[in-house]
Amino acid sequence: MTAAIAPTRRQVLSLYKQFIKNANQFNNFNFREYFLRKSRASFKQNSTIQDAEKLSKLYQDAKNDLSALKRQSVISQMYTFDKLVVEPVDKEERKDINKH
Amino acid sequence: MLRTIFCTASRSNVIMTKARTRAASTLVSRRFIMAMNSNTQSIMRPMAVSMRFYSADTAAPKLNKDEVTRRVVDVIKAFSKGSTNPTVAGTTDVNADTLFHKDLGLDSLDTVELLVAVEEEFDIEIPDKVADELKSVGETIDYIVSNADAN
Repeated sequence: MTAAIAPTRRQVLSLYKQFIKNANQFNNFNFREYFLRKSRASFKQNSTIQDAEKLSKLYQDAKNDLSALKRQSVISQMYTFDKLVVEPVDKEERKDINKH
Repeated sequence: MLRTIFCTASRSNVIMTKARTRAASTLVSRRFIMAMNSNTQSIMRPMAVSMRFYSADTAAPKLNKDEVTRRVVDVIKAFSKGSTNPTVAGTTDVNADTLFHKDLGLDSLDTVELLVAVEEEFDIEIPDKVADELKSVGETIDYIVSNADAN
């Protein structure tokens, strides 16, 4: 077995970008915020790790997680969800609300 | 009278089948069959042909720098407001000279996230190679101005 090769800085940043992008796509507020929070937290938590073997394992795991995230965000877009009270309303919508 | 109608109908059918067999799946002949169908049976509507024009005057007007600057600053302000990091959330004035790392206190992950927000605002895709080089607000603005897809 060959020694594990640590992913490069650019690879990790690219993976993080994909996590954020896909998490942003969730229609449901709770899911969206959860995945954004989780992605941020786990990348930040592991940002100080130096061990190549550990890093490559984390990288592989994150890749698998990303594919699940992609699937779920697509599924989430197939359904419509009512906006929660905590969600910021768009400017146009606010105008509408003020009118009524 | 009725028979003649029948005859003409069957004759046109024969012509159509002939035309169909001869039509070697080229687009022109297929269109021809469509046209004939619409004449004889009036079930099928004539094909709608969508066209796209790529001339210079239909292209979206290029963004000017002031507009881009204003929108980028807005995105950054909204981003720092929503941030959980106190040093990031504390930033008040943002201008073209502001550096992501030094002035805004963003680490590499935060920078990626901010650039995703910028990408969404301008409806563009910043390649990783370019994104790595963007270290200040000014550089980001220059990149967006130079990007023809930005809107």
